[in-house]
Amino acid sequence: MRLGGIAGFVVRRLLLGVLVLFLVSVVVFAATQALPGDPARSILGRTATPASLKALREQLGLSGSVLSQYVDWITGLLHGDAGNSLAAQEPVSDLLGDKVVNSAFLVFLSGIISIPISIAIGSYAALRRDRTFDVTSSLTTLVFAALPEFVVGISLVVIFSTTVFTGFLPAITIIPPGGRPWDDMQAMILPTATLVLAVTPYVVRIMRASMIEVLESDYVEMARLKGLPERTVIVRHALPNALGPTFQVIAINLAYLAGGVIVVEYVFNYAGIGGALRDAVSTQDLPVVQALSMLIAAVYVVLNLMADIATIIVTPRLRTRL
Amino acid sequence: MVDNRSPDAGIDLDRLSLSRRELLMGAGGVLLAGGLAACGGSGSSSSAGSGGSSTPAGTPKKGGNFRLGVTGGGASDIIDGQSIVTKPDQTRLIGSWETLLTYDEDYVLGTDGLAEEVDSSVPGQVDVRLRSGIEFNNGKTLTADDVIYSIQRILNPKEGLFGAAGLASVDPKNLKKMDANTVRIGLKQPDSTIPDQLGQYFNGIVPVGYERKGDLKYVGTGPYKIQSFTAGQQSVAVRNPNYWRPASEGPWFDQVTVTDFADSAAQVNALLAGQIDAITDIPFAQIDTAKAQGIQILEGDGGGWLPLCMAIDMDPFTDVRVRQAFRLMADRQALLEQVLSGHGRVANDIFAPFDACYSSDLAQREQDIEQAKSLLKSAGKDGMTVDLHTTNGAAGMVDSANVFAAQCKAAGVTVNVKNDPNYYGDQYLKLAFSVDFWGTRGFLPQVGLGMLPPPCPYNETHWPPKSGEGSNYITLYQQALKETDATKRCDIIHEMQKAEYEAGGYIIPFFNNLVDAHSSKVQGFKVSKATLNLDTFGHGFRTIWFA
Amino acid sequence: MASTTTDIAVTPEPEVITARRPAGALLRSALHLWRTRIGLALVVLLVAVALFGPFFAPHSPTDFVGAPNTGPSDAARFGTDHIGQDVWSRFLWGGREVLGMAVAATAIGLILGGLIGLIAAYSRNVLDDILMRSMDVILAFPQIMLALVAIATVGPQTWLIILTVGLTTMPRVARVARGASQPIVERDFVAAAEALGVPRFRILVGEVMPNTLSPLLVEMNLRLTYSIGLIAGLAFLGFAPNQNGADWGFMIQENRLALVSQPWGVVLPVLAIALLTIGTGLVGDGIARAAVGIDRSRGGE
Repeated sequence: MRLGGIAGFVVRRLLLGVLVLFLVSVVVFAATQALPGDPARSILGRTATPASLKALREQLGLSGSVLSQYVDWITGLLHGDAGNSLAAQEPVSDLLGDKVVNSAFLVFLSGIISIPISIAIGSYAALRRDRTFDVTSSLTTLVFAALPEFVVGISLVVIFSTTVFTGFLPAITIIPPGGRPWDDMQAMILPTATLVLAVTPYVVRIMRASMIEVLESDYVEMARLKGLPERTVIVRHALPNALGPTFQVIAINLAYLAGGVIVVEYVFNYAGIGGALRDAVSTQDLPVVQALSMLIAAVYVVLNLMADIATIIVTPRLRTRL
Repeated sequence: MVDNRSPDAGIDLDRLSLSRRELLMGAGGVLLAGGLAACGGSGSSSSAGSGGSSTPAGTPKKGGNFRLGVTGGGASDIIDGQSIVTKPDQTRLIGSWETLLTYDEDYVLGTDGLAEEVDSSVPGQVDVRLRSGIEFNNGKTLTADDVIYSIQRILNPKEGLFGAAGLASVDPKNLKKMDANTVRIGLKQPDSTIPDQLGQYFNGIVPVGYERKGDLKYVGTGPYKIQSFTAGQQSVAVRNPNYWRPASEGPWFDQVTVTDFADSAAQVNALLAGQIDAITDIPFAQIDTAKAQGIQILEGDGGGWLPLCMAIDMDPFTDVRVRQAFRLMADRQALLEQVLSGHGRVANDIFAPFDACYSSDLAQREQDIEQAKSLLKSAGKDGMTVDLHTTNGAAGMVDSANVFAAQCKAAGVTVNVKNDPNYYGDQYLKLAFSVDFWGTRGFLPQVGLGMLPPPCPYNETHWPPKSGEGSNYITLYQQALKETDATKRCDIIHEMQKAEYEAGGYIIPFFNNLVDAHSSKVQGFKVSKATLNLDTFGHGFRTIWFA
Repeated sequence: MASTTTDIAVTPEPEVITARRPAGALLRSALHLWRTRIGLALVVLLVAVALFGPFFAPHSPTDFVGAPNTGPSDAARFGTDHIGQDVWSRFLWGGREVLGMAVAATAIGLILGGLIGLIAAYSRNVLDDILMRSMDVILAFPQIMLALVAIATVGPQTWLIILTVGLTTMPRVARVARGASQPIVERDFVAAAEALGVPRFRILVGEVMPNTLSPLLVEMNLRLTYSIGLIAGLAFLGFAPNQNGADWGFMIQENRLALVSQPWGVVLPVLAIALLTIGTGLVGDGIARAAVGIDRSRGGE
């Protein structure tokens, strides 16, 4: 039994997204329960007394059944309260506020560079299929897509900062307290370049494939058979149909970037949520790990959802599959 | 994963809030005899520190904002005249609060602090006479009442302050105000280490009614007054116009700004870029780079140590032969080279190198694999396997474990290194084999903190044994506390150290130096044996200036 | 692909390489392409270094050969690392851990994902939906995220890393397997076989599976490339099972601070990981191209 049309599709995808987030939250939460040992003891360490342990457990929300803890946590999250960091004994939301801004800026910067490049290169390669540009770009994107981001990042540091062109660009970012990443744009060059190089190749390949599909579609064939000049075919018939995949590509690009920050921030000591996540995993600060996982997963799900919906709306022919 | 103060850390964002344990890094003390004269022989050479570069003293000039970068802090930073949680807290405490007695660069206790005289000649009491005319930074005069309040606050179990363990012999109900400037501290039992404790940096003197979050929270007698503070980020302190010392003794800066950094690489880069003027604990890997760019390196002669702790009452270390074998497997020079890049001195399994009574006559242990193997064989433990627990609590803890484990292979012993971020939680003090860290301290105070049965707080090795060598350790300790004759006390201490040397649970391969870095613009630093970095942060930022 | 975090929850349906073609012929035609050959050469070289390196190492990974962070010398061809160990020896020893875990994880993902994809395609009913939706849940996470969450609880243990990387590889393989099986499953001869009473299992193994081998071969390379990058990346972040064992990813982290004065501790493992991932990527791409080429030469289907 299927609801009809676009509205139905959107509703179904939304529900699916919510379901996925819910399941993700269960998985993330279940991880706490797997932790051996007692977090309260870990914090109080040697100064633990039975009374202080009990009080701290209450405060950490560790008393009560697993189910009630989960419910507490989830309702807290939905109200913007992500509990307290174990290491800092401060609310997680306070700790992460600035970092979210910093990561968002990095993603934004990388996005405004990466998205146009992906679209341009991917489209052009599709248009000039199997010709020099396509073959070269295909090989380049293949090589860069294969490389892990930290390899790209470290290589850039070695080349432009520490070893080959010593001191040309800063190797790490330093955001002084109260400062903002855009205060020192020179330090942003390498991290942004790394993210762009890490993500763009993969997206270029997707863009190219999508563009080829459009160019070989019946719709465009029809336009050609009608005898329209190639230019008109491209501009009036192919491009509008390419919008859908383009939106999808943009959303995917952003989603990848959001995930890519985890490693790249570590390479450059960037004070964002990726670095915070890595820290939290290292110190087993579970409330922070949980909060960040949910945040990143939510961003992912939302972006993918937007990509799907945008694609459906903009690409009429896909609607027949609904 | 990797400690942000470790010399070989990657760019690490580990910001573990340091446990109370960490406080020990800063403490230290030399035992004083009945009077205040330094023990003969302790105040020896000031040739401490290899390669330490003390900037030649020019003429101090007033002015400037001194910017210090520190690591190891975070959201759990506090400001309290009598306590620290993270290492950066030391920097905020040291500029604004002072102690009754102080330690100089040679680690000698002296009356350069708030007290004019401290008399512990009568067992069971300590008389403290304050200098007159000292004011807190809010204008109030320092009196005996403040001292009494300060000591009582330290001893208050609800506050959980670090100095409580060291001042345990003080009877908080027996603090008598003799006159406006004199306090008689009554003791529950004779204890010759009390003057030591009065020189510990975390036993600052606070005004009556002081509380960490109260109205008087930034009131102290120190050369600077805290103006603003954001935990985990930055603090600003300005010169205290009421400061009691004569103008020629400083302070010179208008302002001191302490900034928390996530890790050492960021810190060093900020220093190189001129964004800050000094840093603590420069990673060894970056010393050469820094020097090449004109940065000055300040290396102290440290008495800090990273022991491998064998619990003498837990398997497999119950047999003293096993403990001796493990001590013989360590190649101490190699450990020094590998873990500290040589920035330290080889040690001999006993602690308190700056104590006048340190037993330097005991034969220096060397690695002896054959002897180790035969000892293990006779104990029936050849080819044994054991877990060694460690964590990123202090620079070198993990590396020590790894290097030692590699060294044990030569004797057929397998050591499995376990790096546990929650090390100072559940398991701490209950492990058979672990790594820990300590700062500089005199012998008796250190015993009080780590070598006695509970309530002694940090006894990793579960010393002393019930029988055999060392079983009379506690008796000896109590005798030493009571003993007023310096020579006789040294004899007792020698006996205690001999027992530790023969049968103890510590493997102490080296004493580590403190290595810091500062811009050449900053002058006045002296090479120091002190326990706090940067020459006790330029004595509370008072004895350093901009050229 | 090999970017440690880039992975899509909603993939545009992967390029479906269909039509019957024997895997052998596919591989042979792939090898005609120069890119496959170069890729293969790189892979063989680096795998050889990883597997046989230890036999040629002049020192053990934990031998103390000189002052920490010093440059090349007689004792240490590429200098020493952060605690005075030989960089060259540690490099020669360092490939096994990364490669071993990556291969194991990819194998798990391949087997489980392949099975799930096949079964999903074949059942064509509710089971299909359930299976693929469950795969979607796993896909909702960036792969590295799930690994980090797992590591946050019990620490970076070998089995845990292999398991999480394997389980997060699984859905991606499942999609490809399903996509490749579907066209086969919908064909008449399958329906005919079913009508004749041929056991489902036989059909699956006998008819459907052989046709998925080619696309799965391509996917396997992609996944392997990605797993290597991910596991080395986790080690780079500090999450390697063995704290002092030699490991290419972990070496980079250990020696980063000395990059300015002693780059070899970082440069050697970075080069190795780069070349290995490029190699597997090239091989995968070569196979994909060969498949399309054969497709085209047969006039497509």
